[in-house]
Amino acid sequence: MSDLESRDVDLVVIGAGPAGLAAAISAKKNGVNDLILLERNNWLGGILPQCIHDGFGLEVFQEPLTGPEYAQRYIDKLKDLKIPCFLNSMVLEVTSKKEVFVASPEGLFCFRAKAIILAMGCRERTRGQICIPGSRPAGVYTAGVVQNLINLKNVMVGRDVVILGSGDIGLIMARRLTLEGAKVHAVVEIMPHTNGLPRNVQQCLIDYDIPLLLSHTVTEINGLNRVESVTISPVDKNLKPIKGKEKRIPCDTLLLSIGLIPENDLSKACGVELSSVTAGAIVHENLETTVPGVFACGNVLHVHDVVDFVTLEAEKAGKSAAEYVLGKSRKVDRIRVEAGDGIRYVLPQSICTDADLELSSRVVCPGEGVSIGFFDGEKLVKTKKFVKVHPAQMIKVKLKKSEIIAVKTLKVEVLQK
Amino acid sequence: MSGRYLTMSDKSEVLIIGAGVVGCAIARELAKYKIETVLLEKENDVCSGVSKGNSGVLHTGIYYKKGSLKAKLCVEGRLMFPELAKQLDVPLNLCGKYVIARTDEELKDLEDLKAVGEGNGVKGLPIISGKEMKKREPNIDALYALHSPVAGIFPPYLFTIALAENALNNGVKIHVNTEVTAIKQENSGYKVTTNQGVFYTDIIVNSAGLYADKISAMIGLDNYKQYPCRGEYLILDKNCHNLINSMIYPVPPKVAGVLGVHLTPTLDGNILIGPSAEFISEREDTRTTKEKVQQLIEGAKDLFPSIPLKEIIYGFSSVRNKITPPEEKTSRDFIIQEDAENFVNLVGMESPGLTASPAIAKLVVQMIKRKVDLNEKSDFDPVRKRTVSFSEASRIEQAALIKEDADYGEIVCRCEHVSKREVVDALNNPFSSRSISAVKYRTRAGMGRCHGGFCLPRIVEILKEEYGLLPEEIKLKNLHSPLFVGKTKDLREIKKNE
Amino acid sequence: MKKEIICIGCPMGCYLTIDYYEKTMLSISGNRCKVGLEYAEKEISNPERTLTSTVRVKNGNLPLVSVRTNKPLPKGRIFDTMDFLAEVEVEAPVRIGDKIVRNLFGTGVNIVATKNVVKKE
Repeated sequence: MSDLESRDVDLVVIGAGPAGLAAAISAKKNGVNDLILLERNNWLGGILPQCIHDGFGLEVFQEPLTGPEYAQRYIDKLKDLKIPCFLNSMVLEVTSKKEVFVASPEGLFCFRAKAIILAMGCRERTRGQICIPGSRPAGVYTAGVVQNLINLKNVMVGRDVVILGSGDIGLIMARRLTLEGAKVHAVVEIMPHTNGLPRNVQQCLIDYDIPLLLSHTVTEINGLNRVESVTISPVDKNLKPIKGKEKRIPCDTLLLSIGLIPENDLSKACGVELSSVTAGAIVHENLETTVPGVFACGNVLHVHDVVDFVTLEAEKAGKSAAEYVLGKSRKVDRIRVEAGDGIRYVLPQSICTDADLELSSRVVCPGEGVSIGFFDGEKLVKTKKFVKVHPAQMIKVKLKKSEIIAVKTLKVEVLQK
Repeated sequence: MSGRYLTMSDKSEVLIIGAGVVGCAIARELAKYKIETVLLEKENDVCSGVSKGNSGVLHTGIYYKKGSLKAKLCVEGRLMFPELAKQLDVPLNLCGKYVIARTDEELKDLEDLKAVGEGNGVKGLPIISGKEMKKREPNIDALYALHSPVAGIFPPYLFTIALAENALNNGVKIHVNTEVTAIKQENSGYKVTTNQGVFYTDIIVNSAGLYADKISAMIGLDNYKQYPCRGEYLILDKNCHNLINSMIYPVPPKVAGVLGVHLTPTLDGNILIGPSAEFISEREDTRTTKEKVQQLIEGAKDLFPSIPLKEIIYGFSSVRNKITPPEEKTSRDFIIQEDAENFVNLVGMESPGLTASPAIAKLVVQMIKRKVDLNEKSDFDPVRKRTVSFSEASRIEQAALIKEDADYGEIVCRCEHVSKREVVDALNNPFSSRSISAVKYRTRAGMGRCHGGFCLPRIVEILKEEYGLLPEEIKLKNLHSPLFVGKTKDLREIKKNE
Repeated sequence: MKKEIICIGCPMGCYLTIDYYEKTMLSISGNRCKVGLEYAEKEISNPERTLTSTVRVKNGNLPLVSVRTNKPLPKGRIFDTMDFLAEVEVEAPVRIGDKIVRNLFGTGVNIVATKNVVKKE
């Protein structure tokens, strides 16, 4: 008799971060009673419990909550709705037949799911992936790991820090480290502009006199056993280091904030088609992937910058999954949405044109007074003007049914002035 | 038994310096006999030098001059490997190797290699057509290829650790964090001074790898010159596991003793690109460089034009113990000789040192037999079992493991599916090595695509809770590689007190 | 005196150019709403920031609890506050909203918990 327990479940939600929590709650509210939420950590909330800074919830709750407070709102709702949730539960595999294999201290389980919501979030890009030359000493960390260590594990990683990458995570950690007594010698950014919100540049760098070195990168890590310094170099307009202008910054820690990668190992194996641009699933407007009954939302679908949008997206996924489970999914014709000039990606990549919808997008370059055009072939169907756009800030555009009902194709691009 | 401080009166019959694959193989071979053997290692763990940073290849013996020790011991070692790997429970895959020729001139090089191999007693080295090669390896472009079907791959660190554990289990005393600082001939033996106390021994075996010349010089034999030659590697994600089936080598470049940038699949599903070869001035310089990374990428594209470079997850480097000066065309042979009374030097133990290691061990034991009587132990246990690997088990087996111990169900490494139980097993290693590296090389936690992003905080938690380590006591590898300065609120206090 | 600052009032992050004399605003440009104006005026007279950090927990299932100031703190007192918080240890259980420190340095600002921490089993 095998110890492997198999069970049929209507809905499995993988990941109890902000996406998974909101998706599970939404699915329950929309009629799914047989659902489980699986979380590999021994806490709920995903990345939020370590994001102790505020600024979360401005859209959904109209207050600037801290990460843990935002998470708790949904954890409380989850408990109120009595949604079964399993901690320390790592999904090992999702098969193309929607069998979910899970390992936990309670045992190895196989859930045969009718529907699955992928909400696994993302992981950080590593030093190895961008091949930073130099030694491999202790003291090289990605920002999220440092945030976890300092805020959750009560461990301080170093005292003299250089940060590579000026995205919000890097900026937030620059401030956090400084507040706890470390010296952040510089934030180094390869692009000529910062990747994070300008207000984070103010309240995380300028407030603490931390230099921001734009158009620079780290070209070598030095130190045999522990980081002793990093070599930085200015870069040219092709982002290549300019020879002869290197400078060493003595430090004992290099913090990397060089990008997030949606965690789609499980998705790939179960047959979900991924976009090479977003590194997330290709989805319809109801957030269903190319595998029927498998939905995706949150950072695993595309990297977000505002958790409120993760929640709203996840609620949609929960509703769609519920419709699928209850046999209420609409059979519709869909058209592909294309990203044109100046647009990095548009999501969803496939839409039905007989209902209102909201598109998420990111631009390639920052700009002010930018207009984005929606084209059906040569015909301009809609324009939306933005005061300010930045690749680091997701754009949301609502399209009304009346605007798209007659289109045969849809392409989104930045209009030239 | 290991890692303990010794008393002045501790005396052994054989003392081996350096717990790399050669030292551990010799220790394990000596463990078969009733002879008091001690193995010293200056780093925090066995297998800390080049033995852990190489391609993990079981070589056939097609490169080495007939009659050389390299040729003889490589062929012998390779033949001993399957049985040894089984005894030590080390995975081995005889996936074979192809040396490819892209031009008709290179075909001549293949024929030369084939002749060398056959001269060394290796049979069955067919040269196949490009068309046949395309069938076997669709991603590789070749005009011809020399097939060496008996070449194999295995994790060199698992092998070295297994040798050490089996040696330990059979009575060899192993001391890590023990660095030899002086050797003096005393009475009819040697007095070996280390940073952990003094050892007395009759016979010394110098298998100190990169530092073999320094150890040798400690008794005045300073004629050995080593030319550190660094090799860099790139590692591709396990997603690439089915892109090549065997090792793919170009024809050997015309530079002394270097095999050229090749592609090596690993048993875990990664692909290794490398190694490069660069003579460097400082033997400890295990940096990776922009230039070599570029060279590796170009070399890889040369063999495999559509190689998915975005799947690179890591780069590392290791330094070879070369005794061949850069200007010499052909690589010098192994030096395995009794250079002084009861002092065996092993110098220049570069490739195929790993493959040859079991045969090297037998040779050294033969040399020792000429000096002392060696009586076999009746109770030598050649078998050493690996700790269970959760990820390699079937789902049914995994379910049973978790039922037996809930810690098998707590997954600490998301990339390699390593469980808490395996991490604890690794930390309970008999050398008391409690570093992150000790866990990494035994379990693969930290070797995956997220590179410790998920597992590091968890391993830190385990070290704190199960072993009572303070944050500042947690090391990456050796004792000089602290990962942290203290608790979150400690830094303020530390700075105030300065 | 002329200065360039970035408004932190909302995610827009307008770049403000201000001209001021001591604590009086002479001119301001770059703001897209009055939040920017209010922010700039506060910056030159009495700059304030919200502070988030952690505080040690005794006997909890977590070693640290995340905390925040319930309203902005004078900017100049941030490091004093961090030094102060380093000495604080709170006993589990802790609930979101618990006042860990009241009326910090007489500023009227409280330090409140932003996470629930239960007693260690």
